[in-house]
Amino acid sequence: MILLFLASGLFLGWSLGANDASNVFGSAVGSKMVSFRTAALIASVAVILGAVIQGAGAADTLGKLGSVNALGGAFTLALAAAVTVFVMTKFALPVSTTQAIVGAIIGWNFFTGNQTDTGTLSKIVITWITGPVLGAVFAVLLFILIIKIKKISRIHLFRFESIIRAGLIITGAFGAYSLGANNIANVMGVFIPSFSLDTIDLRYFTLNSSQQLFLLGGLAIAVGIITYSRKVMDTIGENIVELSPEGAMVVVLSQSLVLFIFSSSGLSSLFVRAGLPPIPMVPVSSSQVIVGCVIGIGLYKGARNINFRILGEIAIGWVSTPLISGLLAFFSLFFMKNLFGINVGQKGSPADPVSIASTVQSGAAVSQIFLHLLASIILAGIVATALYFLFEWRKEREFRKSEKRFWENMK
Amino acid sequence: MAVFTRTTKKLIVRIDEFFDDIDLGLLVFREAWKAYLEKDLTAFERHLIKVDELENKADRLQREIGNDMITHSIMPQHREDVVRLIDMIDEIIDAAKSNITELDIERPEIPPALADSFLGLAGTSANAGEELVPAARAYFRDPYIVREKLLKVYYYETEADKTAIELKKRIFREIPELDLSGKNQLRYMVNNIENISDLAQTAADMLSGMAIKMMI
Repeated sequence: MILLFLASGLFLGWSLGANDASNVFGSAVGSKMVSFRTAALIASVAVILGAVIQGAGAADTLGKLGSVNALGGAFTLALAAAVTVFVMTKFALPVSTTQAIVGAIIGWNFFTGNQTDTGTLSKIVITWITGPVLGAVFAVLLFILIIKIKKISRIHLFRFESIIRAGLIITGAFGAYSLGANNIANVMGVFIPSFSLDTIDLRYFTLNSSQQLFLLGGLAIAVGIITYSRKVMDTIGENIVELSPEGAMVVVLSQSLVLFIFSSSGLSSLFVRAGLPPIPMVPVSSSQVIVGCVIGIGLYKGARNINFRILGEIAIGWVSTPLISGLLAFFSLFFMKNLFGINVGQKGSPADPVSIASTVQSGAAVSQIFLHLLASIILAGIVATALYFLFEWRKEREFRKSEKRFWENMK
Repeated sequence: MAVFTRTTKKLIVRIDEFFDDIDLGLLVFREAWKAYLEKDLTAFERHLIKVDELENKADRLQREIGNDMITHSIMPQHREDVVRLIDMIDEIIDAAKSNITELDIERPEIPPALADSFLGLAGTSANAGEELVPAARAYFRDPYIVREKLLKVYYYETEADKTAIELKKRIFREIPELDLSGKNQLRYMVNNIENISDLAQTAADMLSGMAIKMMI
């Protein structure tokens, strides 16, 4: 039953993996610099790590926007957001999971009569603007730096390309980690108030209730990456502006930096210690940030390179996504409550624990399921990696053999 | 990561070796013509064997470079251009080898009055090919200077054209002791020598476009 309620969140996670992983590795895979298999493997592992290790910060902010105090409500609005993302993706419209879930939470607030925390909302909305702007600034600065280094060092093109390739893999891993850390809140954030699972002690580290949910969400994202992101990755290179491999690396790095900044509580406290205002821990749309980065490079190279039609579509998506998701959530909640009689939440202070209805109190059984799940994932990961390297090695050996035969026949 | 680094190193070495072979092949081509015109057939045959060896090695390297670039997906955006450029440069040494081989097969009688002109044409045509090599090397390290390096290729190609026309005129107008078949045979030789500079120019045009692509 628990998993059934979580299904909508997992569906949203799957959509996020299918969609947003292409922001991280799309340019690298689209330009054939990194194979899809490598990208999918690295992104899957990094996204799970990011979600479990650093996912809490952005989730807290989303909780403040609207603490969904019933499992039925969390299910419905995650479903509304997931359907919005899925349908818009199907129609090739640019979409942000962050905006979809924010829209859905506001829809829930309206439906249940809860006040939307305008302070938190404005904090989130401001990052929708500052995120892409910051991404553009980072992208331009990094791009200038790389081009200068390339010119001065007179490095061989192949060596430069080899460094860029390694850079794409490293920044891609960092990007996937940041994506997991920042965007897991979109996937599992709404379920946190409704779940209270036993902490799993794994001797070297522990997994609390939220982290177990993040692990599950991270897995859903990884499945989305592996099963559905290839098509998006293959086509992303053709969007907005055509990127060179170094441009692609800069874009991914800038995007990862922005996502990391908005999900690193350590960096935020460092800011506070330095007498600066704290960085808001907010889920940022990776799609929007990447658009900002790409536009930054496009403007630096000359505005001629920018495809303004696609930009227009993106702008429409920015406005329509939260609206559609919010409306869908509102009406879905209405049907869930009145047609199926499911408790979707009620008016109450998010801080008041008494108001949290239908909270799932897990016994040892659920924690055991998570434990087994974790062991299976690690085992499957090891087997998949070993098989991958084995196939690569065999392919290489076959090729060398055929080359040898060719030259022997030529003699 | 080690795989990338190792492949990259190997590829850089192969490309450098390939260019060395082209450079050397054109030098031997010039020396072969010199030996033939001086009627030193022993040296000529030695040069012929050397050109053949270099051409075979260049072919092998060309194939290996293409294979490595495809299998390891190196420079995917510019790979086709680089492979095509290597192929075009390889055609230069192919033409040089084919020219020397035909010279060996046909052994045409070249009147002493035309010997210097033939040697000059072979030198100028080989120069065009030789000047292409540093420009192609520069593409991989400093694309910004490729175009200025190509100026010499265009200069030698124009010179080779002029020398070839002048030589053909002299063959048909100033050497009455040669019969028409002899004249035709020499014209054919002139065309073959001149072909080397033409191939260098075609490769230079492509290289110039590639350099522009890298700069924008």
